[in-house]
Amino acid sequence: MLITYIIRRILWSVPFLFVVSLIAFALIQAPPGDYLTTFAATLAQSGDVVDQERLELLRERYGLDQPFIVQYWKWISGVLVGDFGISFEWQQPVSNLIWERMALSVTLATSTLLFTWAVAFPIGVYSAVKKYTLGDYVITAVGFIGLAMPSFLVALVLMYIAVVFFGTDVSGLFSEEFEKAPWSLAKIGDLLSHLWLPVVILGLGSTASLTRIMRANLLDELHKPYVTTARAKGLSELRLILKYPVRMALNPFVSTLGWAFPQLISGAVITAFVLSLPTSGPLLLQALLAQDMYLAGAFILLLCCLSVVGMLVSDILLAVIDPRIRYR
Amino acid sequence: MSFTARALLRSCAAGALLMTALPVLAADYKEAPALAAAAKAGKLPPVEQRLPEHPEVVKPLDAIGTYGGQLRFGLRGSSDHNHILRMVGNQGLVRWDPAYTKLVPNVAEKVDVSPDGKVFTFTLRKGMKWSDGKPFTADDILFNVDDLILNAEFSAPQPRYMTGGVPMKVEKIDDATVKFTFTEPYGDFLAELASPLGQHPVLYAKHYCSQFHPKYNANIADTVKANNATDWKNLFLQKCGDIEIPARWGNVDRPTLDPWVVKDPYTGGATRVIMERNPYFWQVDTAGNQLPYIDELNAPIAQDVESLILAAIGGRIDFGLRHLDAPANRAVLAENRTKGGYEMFEASAVGGTNMVINLNLMAKDKELRELFNKKDFRIALSHGMNRKEIIDTALLGDGEPWQNGPFENHPNFHKRIATQYLEYDVAKANALLDGLGLTKRGPDGTRLLPSGRPIKFKIDVIPTLQPEQVDMLQLIERQWAKIGIDMDVNSLERTFFYERTSNSNDHDAAVWGGQASWVPGEIPQQIVPVHHDSRWGIPWVQWYKTGGKQGEEPPASVKERMKLYDEARATTDPEKRRALMLKIADIAADEFEVFSVTKALPTYGIAKTNLKNVPATMPSSWYYPTPAPTLPQTWFWAK
Repeated sequence: MLITYIIRRILWSVPFLFVVSLIAFALIQAPPGDYLTTFAATLAQSGDVVDQERLELLRERYGLDQPFIVQYWKWISGVLVGDFGISFEWQQPVSNLIWERMALSVTLATSTLLFTWAVAFPIGVYSAVKKYTLGDYVITAVGFIGLAMPSFLVALVLMYIAVVFFGTDVSGLFSEEFEKAPWSLAKIGDLLSHLWLPVVILGLGSTASLTRIMRANLLDELHKPYVTTARAKGLSELRLILKYPVRMALNPFVSTLGWAFPQLISGAVITAFVLSLPTSGPLLLQALLAQDMYLAGAFILLLCCLSVVGMLVSDILLAVIDPRIRYR
Repeated sequence: MSFTARALLRSCAAGALLMTALPVLAADYKEAPALAAAAKAGKLPPVEQRLPEHPEVVKPLDAIGTYGGQLRFGLRGSSDHNHILRMVGNQGLVRWDPAYTKLVPNVAEKVDVSPDGKVFTFTLRKGMKWSDGKPFTADDILFNVDDLILNAEFSAPQPRYMTGGVPMKVEKIDDATVKFTFTEPYGDFLAELASPLGQHPVLYAKHYCSQFHPKYNANIADTVKANNATDWKNLFLQKCGDIEIPARWGNVDRPTLDPWVVKDPYTGGATRVIMERNPYFWQVDTAGNQLPYIDELNAPIAQDVESLILAAIGGRIDFGLRHLDAPANRAVLAENRTKGGYEMFEASAVGGTNMVINLNLMAKDKELRELFNKKDFRIALSHGMNRKEIIDTALLGDGEPWQNGPFENHPNFHKRIATQYLEYDVAKANALLDGLGLTKRGPDGTRLLPSGRPIKFKIDVIPTLQPEQVDMLQLIERQWAKIGIDMDVNSLERTFFYERTSNSNDHDAAVWGGQASWVPGEIPQQIVPVHHDSRWGIPWVQWYKTGGKQGEEPPASVKERMKLYDEARATTDPEKRRALMLKIADIAADEFEVFSVTKALPTYGIAKTNLKNVPATMPSSWYYPTPAPTLPQTWFWAK
């Protein structure tokens, strides 16, 4: 039952990804000009002068003078065999550039998601059960601030405070000595010591919203007759809440996985940019701004795959925790 | 040496080159402690063998330095490769002197120019080495020229290496002498070689880069495949780079002639670029110390300019000009001087202006084109601008009314083109417009064209390039409304701007930076339309570039200037060249095609207080290119 469901979902994602790749490629191509006009314009901004003859030559070499569908076909037929093409800007195969960054992005997103759950779950339960107490008010106030503040702004403020008052630099994911070092236990430790700040910054918004969702859902359940019945039968309060209404309220929590994951990755772009994190965000943004289309296309395609996988995982989890979905 | 000086003097701008070649005996050479240790341990040859027979002897600006330390500058994550070029990579055969007035030998020990300006003989430094210790000889130059520059399969030969459509010829006289021959006189050639774009003859090391060239590598297909490249040209660029692409700084194995070489490369996703000293660098100071003084360049990559400014304030940048010097940042940088431990230096404009207004004299709208082509209309617009008000409000009082061209203290200063029609005079402007028959006005006071349509046009501008341009234009919009002209500021995304103006000529008018001093190597695009930034006559540019095949034939006065410009580029006599440029300026002043508001202002960079030998002021120009000719290899940390 579950197996056929999963297989069906996976099969459906194939045409979906194809359409996504087409749209992504079209969107990257949509702005006027191409990589080379952007290249010339960016250099002009810094007072540099680009050789016009050189530009024409490169345009021909990169195939930018060919029609859209030809360019798309060249790209997608390579992708199918694992060749993502060449990044115009870096003159390197795209696959050399993206994997380490994608891995760091996924690490960051996973950590943030775990952090969000770990914080939002107990706090949400607490503020629903202790509705309208001082604790609930404090949590609600903090939650609203978290919802209202864009995370990149939080990052900028924290960076400014760190530089001006403490004279330290909080950007990046590694200390200078570990940036180029091969992976080792010490490097992982260094990563962890830097990771918490972006995790907190990125997690703030989604923690706040999840807390609100948990609180609202639980409040709906707390006054239903089955709760009263269970309480009347003498079940301990803690056990009662965790076993029945919380389980009911958990559904939206799990289904957030589907959208929270891609949202964390794409939402982290600006924050990662501000904090100079070596994740996929800044490189994706640069690639888009530079119209470095194969690089940008590879990122977008991979992010779409992640969303598809995230959705799938969340649907499976839902089916696992909620028999009603499984048997429908 | 003195003959070299004369030859250079003849072929370049005014001013004499006198290199004070103090005798330094080979035995007196000194080197950085780390290199000395490596040489002692046998890992490196001794310093006198690493240096050429005649290293260039450089007199540091203020003091003989001491070795050691790290120089930090802030890179951006995308399209900032030219920042590295400007810091270390400007090692052409010749270079500009620090004042940007004359050319001095660089990689070449000397150059002789034939009296007719067709033959350039370069004497290389005997015994000079690439950064990996392999000899640098005439063969490298031949490889660069014959197999790459003039190899149509690799790249179409650039006009800079041709005269009259015929490519140059390069011959090897001996290992240390090469002769460049042109079919026609080409006085500007040395200036072209000094600019960052003219370094192809010494860019690639033959012994390394030839392995990516099909002529030298029979199994090129395998190498291409092994490196995941699409063809040999892609492979070549990936491994050896090109002047203006990031890949130039992406391969640690590529030998160079630069003072520092890449250790941690600039690639997609890099967070820091580290460059370490080149043990074979070919310059010494007057005391015989091998340059550079500073051990390592360390450039953290920030994604946005705001974090660069934070880094500067936090004292984490030792030298910064690029990105930091926007006028908006000046106050915050000045305020934090003590905290950041830096001082500010001036990057002075070479001349000209930061915003020149180009009415499109070849506009596709016939009525507007006819109007724009009337000189009185352009004079009226110039008189209709209150330059003082613009300077006081949009530029915070910094500026001086100016039209076009070099400043008063420059040999190429041309009074009329710089200062005619500057005064704010609404009555005069109105009288001129009335005189053109534009007397009818619409209900809002806008003058009407003969067809009854109001005079309304758009000026295209890129708001992110220089934000103050938009402020200035908005004031001009209001000022012109008073003389009955309806102008709209049209802010465009930069790529779209290029598309609309330089590529398809769809614009009514556009603004662009107009810094100019008309020295050799620099393109005078605001007095003669020969470059895609000459937005006042794009079809004429195309006509010039394609030898009349495309575009539209320009009027006689423009053709005359194009001819004079070609002559100026050919002549080897700096005085004659100057006279020709001023003649072009004369015609341009008569025609009065473009106009502007104010002189280009200097910008300000930061340098750490104890970083020595950094000049307090340096010219700011790409052709120079700032700060390379001030020789960062002579900067050092005061103990």
